[in-house]
Amino acid sequence: MARVKRGVTTHARHKEIIKLASGYRGRASTCFRVAIEKVEKALRYAYRDRKAKKREMRALWIMRINAGVREYGLTYARFINGLKLLGIELDRKQLSDLAATEPTAFKALVDQVKTKLSKAA
Amino acid sequence: MAGKTSLSKRSVQTKSFAAKHGEAEKNWVLFDAEGVILGRLAAVVATILRGKNKPTYTPSVDCGDNVIIINAEKVALTGKKATDKPFYYHTGHPGGIKARTPAAILAGKYPERVIEKAVERMLPEGTLGRRQLGNLKVYAGTEHPHAAQTPKAIDFAAANSKNKRTK
Repeated sequence: MARVKRGVTTHARHKEIIKLASGYRGRASTCFRVAIEKVEKALRYAYRDRKAKKREMRALWIMRINAGVREYGLTYARFINGLKLLGIELDRKQLSDLAATEPTAFKALVDQVKTKLSKAA
Repeated sequence: MAGKTSLSKRSVQTKSFAAKHGEAEKNWVLFDAEGVILGRLAAVVATILRGKNKPTYTPSVDCGDNVIIINAEKVALTGKKATDKPFYYHTGHPGGIKARTPAAILAGKYPERVIEKAVERMLPEGTLGRRQLGNLKVYAGTEHPHAAQTPKAIDFAAANSKNKRTK
């Protein structure tokens, strides 16, 4: 049986980790023992934050919709309520993109909501 | 680690809007602080500096407007806050906590610091917050050197009856 030297596999494993740690600060980018800790932690953060990102983005969309809607004297809560009464099912991502990039289309929506709310009251 | 985008993918995921550094539209707005309640003014100014009043708000980008405030020495505080609610700061030495009342600052050489401090403490602590604080220009008196920027005057007192309380 062929003789197996362990340095080869070890080096390959270390190389993989060091590659993932490129750009890290100080010894974390060059020294394996430090790098492995940082990489493991980073992967845990990445796993967690892929989920957190969905919540953060939704919060951001809501902030944007609120800002857009307040220009016309509505609040976010009343706007969403109005959309529900109208049966408009645009989601928050679409609404925020309309507010940011299509002001006229967004204004049309706001006007619809306003007339609906004034009738409902 | 992103792979090549496959063209056969049926649903198209669009990216959310994101403002880019230096591309956000930055206007100039002007406030008159005469007789206006300090905290109410500072809250609105902080929102504008951060750009949270815009539908293009992007948290990591300086997308707020530049704010000019005139008549800063005539800002109002309700109740006994002018004399009883000091701004605290710390020198870094042991026992080095110091305090200065808004009344003392307003009567001193740099009355505009009352508004500056109030707004500063309503902005996030960080590089972006500090940069946005730099977009705030506060002046005592009715003059300001930013006429070339043609700032849009905002009638803050008319926006809410509580913004300028008559005793």
